[in-house]
Amino acid sequence: MGEDESGVAALVESARAGESQAWDDLVARFGGRVWAVCRAYNLSRADADDVFQVVWMRLVNSLDSIREPDRLGAWLATTTRHEALRVLRKAGRQIPVGDDAGLDRPDESAPGPDARLLRTEREAALWAALEELSPDCQRLLRVMLADPPPSYQEVSLALGMPVGSIGPTRGRCLNHLRSKLRGINGGVAGSS
Amino acid sequence: MSDDVGLGGGPAADEEDETLMAELRAAAGRADPVPDEAVVAARAAFAWRTMDAELASLAYDSLLDDRPLAGVRGVATPRLLTFQAAGLTLEVEAVGEGQERRLLGQLVPPQPGHIEVRHRGGRLTVEADGMGRFAAAGLRPGPVSLRCDPATTGPVYTDWFLA
Repeated sequence: MGEDESGVAALVESARAGESQAWDDLVARFGGRVWAVCRAYNLSRADADDVFQVVWMRLVNSLDSIREPDRLGAWLATTTRHEALRVLRKAGRQIPVGDDAGLDRPDESAPGPDARLLRTEREAALWAALEELSPDCQRLLRVMLADPPPSYQEVSLALGMPVGSIGPTRGRCLNHLRSKLRGINGGVAGSS
Repeated sequence: MSDDVGLGGGPAADEEDETLMAELRAAAGRADPVPDEAVVAARAAFAWRTMDAELASLAYDSLLDDRPLAGVRGVATPRLLTFQAAGLTLEVEAVGEGQERRLLGQLVPPQPGHIEVRHRGGRLTVEADGMGRFAAAGLRPGPVSLRCDPATTGPVYTDWFLA
């Protein structure tokens, strides 16, 4: 999605050659996407930290063998999904393998995103509406809300869902979000 | 509820969706950014770049490769991992709960050798016996990698896994 692929390939080349600045740039560029996948699987903060770290440690080992450096985003999406699934399996939680069937219940004890950091009423309402969506929708949207956003192929690999279903599902989820938002705004208006 | 009707909805609806996504993205960036400590750890990973040994990549992990059977959740089964390099395979069983992890391992082909275990608490060295068996205890949960200097081939190190 507008990814400068030759730029990514050049960063991978430089990192292979040992340039730590190129590595830092890769972390800056893809970190948001890796984190979003960790969160999409509803990992606790500690588990998300572990998965995030081990994904980058594995990338260090794989720098020389990633055959298409411009497909780094796809490698990261796949690796992060696998590490997240391992953590969920170890904890014995229900796992969406497939990943469209059988959703795990949100881990209520997991310290999640902090809504207090939101600045405006509009943002708070958007976030509240997002958190009311089905786990399916939350998972998909959380991955797609990374900055910069992932390609559809990356989303597909991160969640184990077909590329062709991403667009229509996103559309449905956004429509659900709009109706939740109307409920929230209606509630606010009614109580004032 | 007009926006719940029909598929797509044309360019105007697409634009509305993009605008909403942009707003949500800004909110996600504020409510759930990548933690600074996570970025620091990811940057520091580069220091683990290893040029003087061969990577034994993860070929099998029971956590990922064996789908749990319905109804047997809760039965503790050991986690088995296999790492493969050209001339050496490491089979590792990872066990432990709470704040301690233990490894039981086997070098294939069987042979003695020094094995360095890297984990969040530091490094420790164990010896594989004549049958290629080794054990390591007192590991902290988190990323783990083994480095082995076998008699038959050059040094080998395994990919990282979360123990």
